[in-house]
Amino acid sequence: MKRERNPVTLVVDGVEVTAPEGTMLVDAAKHGDIEIPVFCYEPKLGEPVGACRMCMVEVEGIPKLQTACSTPVRDGMVVYTQTERVQEAQNSVVEFLLVNHPLDCPVCDKGGECPLQDISMGWGPGRSRMRDPKRHFQKPIELSPLIKIDRERCILCYRCVRFSQEVSEDEQLQLLERGDRSFVGTFDDRPYVAPFHGNIVELCPVGALTSQSYRFRARPWEIEDAGSICTLCPSQCNVKFTVRDEHVVRVLARDNHDVDDGWLCDKGRFGYQMINSEDRITEPLVRRGGELRPASWSDAIAAAAKGLRAADCRVAALAGGATSNEEGYLVQRIVRGALGSDDVDCGSRGGPEAATLRRLAEPGLAAAMSDLDGADTVLVLGTDPLHEMPILDLRIRKVVRRLGVTLAVGSERPTSLDGGADAVARFGPGAATGFLRELADAARGDGDGDGEADRIASTLGADSALVIVWGSRLATGPGSQDAAEALLDLASSLRLGEREGSGLIEVPETANGRGLREAGCSPGAGPGLTDAPAGRTAPEIRTALESEDLTAAILANVDPVRDFPDQAGWRSALQKADFLVAISMFENESTAHADVVFPAESHAENEGTVTHPDGRLQRVRPNAPHPGNIRPGWQVLVELSAALDHETGLDSAPEVFEALAAEAPFLASMTYEEIGGTGIRWQTRDAKPSWIEGAGTPSTGTAGAAAERSGEPPPPLGGVRPGEGVPAPSSGDGSSEEPPTPSHGSGLKLGTYRDLWSGEVTERNPSLEFLAPKQRLELAPSDAERLGVEHGQPVSVTSNGHAVEAHVAIRERMKPGAGFLIEGTAENNANLLAGAIEVEVHPAGGAAE
Amino acid sequence: MSETRLLFRHVDEPGLAGIDTYRRLGGYRALDKAFGDMEPDEVLTELEESGLRGRGGAGFSMGKKASFLPRGDQEKYLCCNADESEPGTFKDRELMFKNPHQLIEGIAIAALAADASRAFIFIRGEYAEAADVLDRAVAQAYEAGYLGEGVLGTQHRVELVVHRGAGAYICGEETALLDSLEGKRGNPRLKPPFPAIQGLYGGPTLINNVETLSNVPHIVERGAKWFTGFGTEQSPGTKVTSISGCVKRPGNYEIELGIPAREIVYGLAGGPPDGREVKAWFPGGSSAPVLTAEELDLPYSFEAMQEAGSMLGSGAIIIADETVSIPHLALRTARFYHHESCGKCTPCREGTNWTVKMLERVVRGEATPMDLDIISSVQENIIGNCLCVLGDSMAMPVASMVKRFRGEFEAAIEAGRSAAPGPLDDEAGRVPAALEVGA
Repeated sequence: MKRERNPVTLVVDGVEVTAPEGTMLVDAAKHGDIEIPVFCYEPKLGEPVGACRMCMVEVEGIPKLQTACSTPVRDGMVVYTQTERVQEAQNSVVEFLLVNHPLDCPVCDKGGECPLQDISMGWGPGRSRMRDPKRHFQKPIELSPLIKIDRERCILCYRCVRFSQEVSEDEQLQLLERGDRSFVGTFDDRPYVAPFHGNIVELCPVGALTSQSYRFRARPWEIEDAGSICTLCPSQCNVKFTVRDEHVVRVLARDNHDVDDGWLCDKGRFGYQMINSEDRITEPLVRRGGELRPASWSDAIAAAAKGLRAADCRVAALAGGATSNEEGYLVQRIVRGALGSDDVDCGSRGGPEAATLRRLAEPGLAAAMSDLDGADTVLVLGTDPLHEMPILDLRIRKVVRRLGVTLAVGSERPTSLDGGADAVARFGPGAATGFLRELADAARGDGDGDGEADRIASTLGADSALVIVWGSRLATGPGSQDAAEALLDLASSLRLGEREGSGLIEVPETANGRGLREAGCSPGAGPGLTDAPAGRTAPEIRTALESEDLTAAILANVDPVRDFPDQAGWRSALQKADFLVAISMFENESTAHADVVFPAESHAENEGTVTHPDGRLQRVRPNAPHPGNIRPGWQVLVELSAALDHETGLDSAPEVFEALAAEAPFLASMTYEEIGGTGIRWQTRDAKPSWIEGAGTPSTGTAGAAAERSGEPPPPLGGVRPGEGVPAPSSGDGSSEEPPTPSHGSGLKLGTYRDLWSGEVTERNPSLEFLAPKQRLELAPSDAERLGVEHGQPVSVTSNGHAVEAHVAIRERMKPGAGFLIEGTAENNANLLAGAIEVEVHPAGGAAE
Repeated sequence: MSETRLLFRHVDEPGLAGIDTYRRLGGYRALDKAFGDMEPDEVLTELEESGLRGRGGAGFSMGKKASFLPRGDQEKYLCCNADESEPGTFKDRELMFKNPHQLIEGIAIAALAADASRAFIFIRGEYAEAADVLDRAVAQAYEAGYLGEGVLGTQHRVELVVHRGAGAYICGEETALLDSLEGKRGNPRLKPPFPAIQGLYGGPTLINNVETLSNVPHIVERGAKWFTGFGTEQSPGTKVTSISGCVKRPGNYEIELGIPAREIVYGLAGGPPDGREVKAWFPGGSSAPVLTAEELDLPYSFEAMQEAGSMLGSGAIIIADETVSIPHLALRTARFYHHESCGKCTPCREGTNWTVKMLERVVRGEATPMDLDIISSVQENIIGNCLCVLGDSMAMPVASMVKRFRGEFEAAIEAGRSAAPGPLDDEAGRVPAALEVGA
C-alpha cells in the first residue's frame, strides 16, 4: 500500500524548493528555510482544517489568499509569503486572535513557550486597536482531574477536539455553542476521563489547557530537558523530561514517528511524581535484627555477596520492569558466571525454548512500527493494546481511520479496537493455541468455512502487506511451546516472511521484556538468544524455592508477589528463601522478605538501553540526578559481581553495552552513538544472520571476555560445549488442548489480564491515584444470568481456598463461559487465583452497592 | 403589471400543494418527458444551455455545476438547499408551502441529470409548516411512482428525504449544510475539494437552491431556448424577489430578470410610504453592499448588480427610507452575522463581535472618529480571508454603509461626543420597527 510520491518543484519567495507531491505548502516551505506561521495545522491530527487562517499566503494565479496548510504543492507553483498583502493578512489574524484573548501572560503557564506569543511577536501588528470589553468565561475549571481549561484563552484552533474525536477516538471533547461564544467542553461538563487525554495539553498552542500537576511549577527559562525513553510500558515512547532544580516536573513527547507518532499515554505523561516520592528507597537496606535498616554501599554489597555465595549455586534471578539491557546482561552474567547457576528469567510464566525464541525473532518475520502505516491488514491476536502497549492502540486507530487499513482482532476478552475491526473472534482462556491452529487452517483454505477463524482469515489477503500484533501472553505458561509453534505455523501458512511490509510485532509483558530476553535473561537462552544451559523458569523457580532446591534469589525490579501468578505461592516461596537480594524503587510485599535491598533508579536517572518490541534499541539517558544515595544500576551490579570474585572490568554503561554487544551477534559492534536519539532496529543492520547458528556462548566472566577480545573461542562453561546444551524443556506437560471442561461448580473459566492502571505506578503518583481500578469480574450477559448476579453487584470469586472480592461488570461482547479479573491490583489481586482453571462465583455478603 | 409568473403561475390556485391539483394544471409532465423520452445527458445539456443561474445567492450556472459530478458507479447525492436564512429572503418559503410538487419534480429531474440516486431537502427548522407540507407532498410523489426505486417504472432510482435544520444561518452554506446533514456541527469545510467531487458522505453531490430546482421542470418541458427568451443574456429566466422594509406592499414578486429595479420597488411594491424617499437599498439580501436611490434605475440582473459594486444574491430587496438611521442599520446587520457566525475561522468569529462592539459604541454615542477608520479597516481584513463567505456577508454591506453614508456615522459620533452623558440603556440604539429582524 506504499504510494510513490514524485518530487515537485515550486518557487517560494524566489527560492526554488523541491518536495514530494501531496506535501502541503507549509511543510514544503520549510525545505526552503521559510517559516509560515500556523495554529490549527498539526499533521499528527490528520487532514488540515484551515480554520485559524494564520498561514495565508499569496499563490500566483489565484486571486484570494490561500491557506498554506491545506494547499498541496504543484509543479511550477509560485508562492509569496512576505508581500505586503500577506503581511497585512497575518497582522489582521493576530489582531483578531487578540481581540478576546485575555492578557494572562504573567500568570499563564504557557508564557515563554507559547506559539501565540511567538507568532504575535513575529507576525503581528505590534499593537491591538481593540478597546472594548472581551468576552468572559468562568475560568479556570477542571476539564478532568488532570487538566484545567481556561476557555477565555482558547483560540478555537480545534486541535484538542480533533484529538479526542479522531485520534484517541474517545469522542468526549466537543465544541459547544457557536461564534465567539464557542467553547470546548464535554457533554454536560462531565470530567474528561480517557487514557490519552494528556496529549491535548501539548497540542494546545496557548495556555487554555494546562496540566494540573505542572501548573505554576516552573517557567520555561528555568527548566532544562534532555531526551530519554519512558520505560513504564512496552510502548517505550520517546520523551523529554522537564527538570527544574534537579527535579523532574513534567514529561513531554519527543515525537519519534517510528515509535510513538508523537503521542504519550497519561501513565507516561503524569507518572513522574513517583520519581520525587518521599517513599522511594534512597539508600541500601540490609536486614539486621529482623528489620531492614539503612546501610552503606560497601556493607550492603558485602552482605549481598556473602549471602549469595552461601547459597552455593542454588540461586536464581528474576529481572523485569524497566530493567535496562545493560542491567539484564549483568544479572544473567552474575547468575551464570559468578554464581554458577542457570536459573534466570525475565518472564513470569515460562515460555518457549531458545530455538523457538530465535525463530520468532527472525528478521525476516519482524515488522517495524512504521510497517503498520504501510499495511493493508493488521491482525491483533491475544492482546488489548490499549492496556498493554497504549501507543500501539492509537497507531492502529490511525491506520484504520486515515489509511483504510483492514483490522481483524482475535482475543480472549473484548478489546477497545473491536469497534473498528472488520472481523472479531473470541477464544476462551487457555484456548489460544487451538484458535491459532484453526486460523492457520483457514488461511490455507482448510477451514470449516464459516467460523470466526474463517472470517478473520478472509481479511488477511494473500499477497498484501499484513502485520500481526500478538500478545506475548499467548506463548507463555504450560503449552507455550505449542502456542509458539502454532503462531509460527500461522505465519508460514500466511507466507508472512515473503510478503512485503509484513511481519510480527510482539507485545511483551514488561517494558523491556524483549530487551531482557535478548540480553540473556531467559532460561536456556543467553545474550543474543544464543543457546545456554537449560534453566528454571519463573514458576519453576518458585516451586524450587518452596522445596528448598533453591535457597536464594535476586529480584531485579520485580515484585513477584504482586505481579506474578499464584500470589500465595510467591509469598510462601520468598518467605522460605534463605537469602533474598532485591533491587527496587519502593518497598513492597516482595522486598518485605528481602535481606538486602538496593535502591533502583527511576527512568529519569537511568543510563542504558532498552529494546522496543519491534527490535529498536533505544537509549535511556539520565535527566535528573540520583536522589539520596542511589547509584547507577549497572554500577551496583558490576560491584556485586566483583564482590563475588567475578571482576567484569567494566567501568561505564557504554562499556557494559559493548560487552553485551560482543556476546550478542546481532548487536555486534553497535555503539551508543549509532543508537543516537532515535534508536536503531537491530534487524536493519548488517550484523544479523550469524546469530541463528548459535555462535557465541554465555558469559564466562573475565576469561571469556578476554578470550572474546583476543579472538579465541572462549572456554566452555561448566563442561557444556556450544551446541551440546540441553534445550530448555517446554514448560508444562506440552498439552495445548483446551483445558478439560470442568464438571462441577460455576462452570466459569478464569481469565486474567493487566489493566492499564492496575499497578504501582498508579498508586505512587498522587495525580493518578483516582484511576486505580477496583477489582471487577467481567461476565457475558448469559453467564451473569445463569449465576444470578447483576451488573455492579459485589461477588466473591473463589478457587482452591482463595477468594477475591469483585464487582460484576457485564460486557456484551464476551464469549460465554469465562470470567475475567484484573491482575496486579493492590487488593483483591487476580494473581491470587491465577493458575486456577475454573472459579466459583458467590454473591458477597451484605447488600449490593 | 411587471410580474412574469413562471414559477408562480398557479400560486394562487387553492389545493396546488396536493398532487391532484398539481397534475391537473400540467404538473409532472416534465418528469414524464425526462424519464420517458430523454437520456440523462440530454436533460443535462438542456439545463446547461438554459443558462439557469443559481437562485440561492451565488448565481453559478446550474447546468455547469451539475456537469461537474463524475459519472460512475459510486453513490451520488442531490441536496436541495431550503435553509433560506438570508435576511430579507422569504421566497422559498412560499414556493415550498404553496407549490411543493414543482420542487419535487425539479429535484427528480435534476437527480436524473446528475445521476444522483439519493436526494435530501435540507429545510430550515423554523419552516415547520412548509416542512409538513413537503412531507405530505413527498409521500404523495412516492405513491404516484415519481420517487423511489424505479421512477415511473424505469431503472432510475431517486429517494427523497426531507431533513429539518436546527436554527443556523451557516447551514445555508453548502459545505456546512453537508456536515449538518451528516449529523455533525454545521461548520463549513475547506474547498477544494468541492462538493461535486467530494460532498455528502464523501461522495459527489449536487447542491441547489429551491428556486433553482423549481425552474427545472419548466426548462425541461418547454426547452432551454424558450427559457432564454426571458431575462437577459447573462441572466436568463425569472426571479422571485422578496421585497421588504420601508415599502407599501412587501411580498414575493416574480419578475423577468433585467427589468429596472425601480419597477419592482415602486411598480410592484408601491415604494416607500407617501412622502418618503428611498435612502438606501439592499439588492440581494442583507449580505449585499447597499445601493442608493440613483441606482434604482439599473436593470435588476446578476451582471448589472455586480457592476454596480453589489450583488443580486438571493434576490431579496430591502428598502430603507430616510427615517432609517444608517448606523442603526449597520449595527442591526452586524448583530445578525455575529449571532450566526459559526466560530470556526478567526477573522469572522472575532471580526463580527468586534464590529458589533464598535458599532454599538457609535450608536450609543461613545465612539471616536478613529473608530470609524478601524471599523472600515476591520471589514477589509475580513473580506477574502475567511473560510466561507459569512464573514464577507457582514463585512461587505457594513463597509459599503460606512463608505456611502459616512456623514451619518460621523454625525452620530459627534452627537455622542457633544452630548451630556446619558443613560446607557437601549433607547438611543432603537431601530425602527420596519427594520427589526427577529433576534
